[in-house]
Amino acid sequence: MSVFIRHYNPGSVYNAKIWRFASTTAETPKLTNGEDDEEFRVLDILKKRDKLQRRAPRKADVPPDRAEKMRTDQKWGDVWPGPKSFHPSSVPLPIRQGYVPKGQAPPGKKANAELMKIPNFLHLTPPVIKSQCEAIKKFCTEWPKLLNSEEAIEKHYPLEIITSDYCHASPVIRNPLSRIVILRIKLSDLKLDKHARDKFLRLVGDRYDGQTDLVTITADRCPVRRQNLDYVNYLLTACYHESWNYEDWEGDKTLQDMEYYDFDMNQSKRNLVNWHLLCLNEENNFSDEEIKLYDVASIPNATEYIESVSSLFNDGESDATLKKYDTSVRKLLGLPDKKIVT
Amino acid sequence: MNSIIKYAQCSSLSQWSPVFASQFHTSSALSRVVSGKYRITKKRDRPLTYEMANPPHFIAHRKSWNSWNTSSLKDGLRRSETAVEDEFIRRFLNGTWHGLVCSEVIIKRQFNHIRVAAIVRRAVSPTKMYFLIGYTEELLSNWIQCPVTLELQTVDSYKDVVFKYI
Repeated sequence: MSVFIRHYNPGSVYNAKIWRFASTTAETPKLTNGEDDEEFRVLDILKKRDKLQRRAPRKADVPPDRAEKMRTDQKWGDVWPGPKSFHPSSVPLPIRQGYVPKGQAPPGKKANAELMKIPNFLHLTPPVIKSQCEAIKKFCTEWPKLLNSEEAIEKHYPLEIITSDYCHASPVIRNPLSRIVILRIKLSDLKLDKHARDKFLRLVGDRYDGQTDLVTITADRCPVRRQNLDYVNYLLTACYHESWNYEDWEGDKTLQDMEYYDFDMNQSKRNLVNWHLLCLNEENNFSDEEIKLYDVASIPNATEYIESVSSLFNDGESDATLKKYDTSVRKLLGLPDKKIVT
Repeated sequence: MNSIIKYAQCSSLSQWSPVFASQFHTSSALSRVVSGKYRITKKRDRPLTYEMANPPHFIAHRKSWNSWNTSSLKDGLRRSETAVEDEFIRRFLNGTWHGLVCSEVIIKRQFNHIRVAAIVRRAVSPTKMYFLIGYTEELLSNWIQCPVTLELQTVDSYKDVVFKYI
């Protein structure tokens, strides 16, 4: 390889230089092997690939399983302290899992994904639970001795508040359902007179269950449980005090407006009292109000009669109510029992 | 097209009905379920893991779920989010532990804790594996904003998890 450099100065002699580079490979005559020249190159159509030498994967030195070295008297809680997926080398149990055709053994514990899937309770062995209970015992307080039965609890704490806490797998701990608050109270625990009880039941509507005598008020309209709790308490208080209120128009209710049969307000009571006084040969000049307030407990067998008459009107005519009415009237009037002639 | 419509308008439907009837072909539905099932090869040399060997209708009978969470229960919260996150975790793990994961990626959620379990080949050095564990946990917990724990089991080669050949 060479470089021709022309250095030209005007008015002087033309000057040119040729540099010659010394190179080791560029211009040395190619050395060829005599043998290569003589042999033709073979055209390999079905070229077989030179086998690449595969690097053998390094075998890692895997120590023997931890389970094999475990002592029999070790503390299992230290080996498996918390919830963890199954790991075969630290569980010294010959576990197998998997469905196989009959006659085969199910897959063993190593490389068994099924065992890793199922939730295990290896961290909650009985001794561990016992020790954990011992540890948290110091935070517990004693149960009050007087509240030793359900009845005692009901008597001292008649109001029942039911809320739910939800535990779910999610980055947020909030669950909208936990806002719902249910208040339950026995109607007999509320101090209500006849009028107030009737009004309370009307206000409460279908929230009262006659069979269990429970009033259930549910609130879920507010976003937070605290607000719902306040609202439920407010509802109960408002209903209670409203039921004790006596409005002016409530006095206008007449016998025709009654939605149920009230014995004290009806003609039957007057008849009963009149008949009773007639039997006793007493003077009978009671006004309507006096008859209403007349205590029928003094009349023998009257309570049963009143009950049967009320049920006949309130529950409707049926074989049972009619039979009851029949026996109670016979008892009241001192007539002999009905003899069934066959 | 216009001429056909015109012809249809001028002619009565009774004339058309045999034509339509001959052009509509109906057949019963072929309810062939293919997804999640593997075909038998001629040489019977396709390796299947236990998971692959049991088709999807055996879930809860012969094999269990790969995702364990409360979102899939009735009235569960965050259903779509959980499903998308699970898929993301699976893809990320398969890409990060490229060619190493021998089983399905099992994702269990407890509270806000995500536990990811898998069976991994011992093809890389333990040092690399420790790095990958830390890397995966760190990145996933940063993205999902939850503590993520990797619970891996290692096997020598893929052949250890093969249940049968079909």
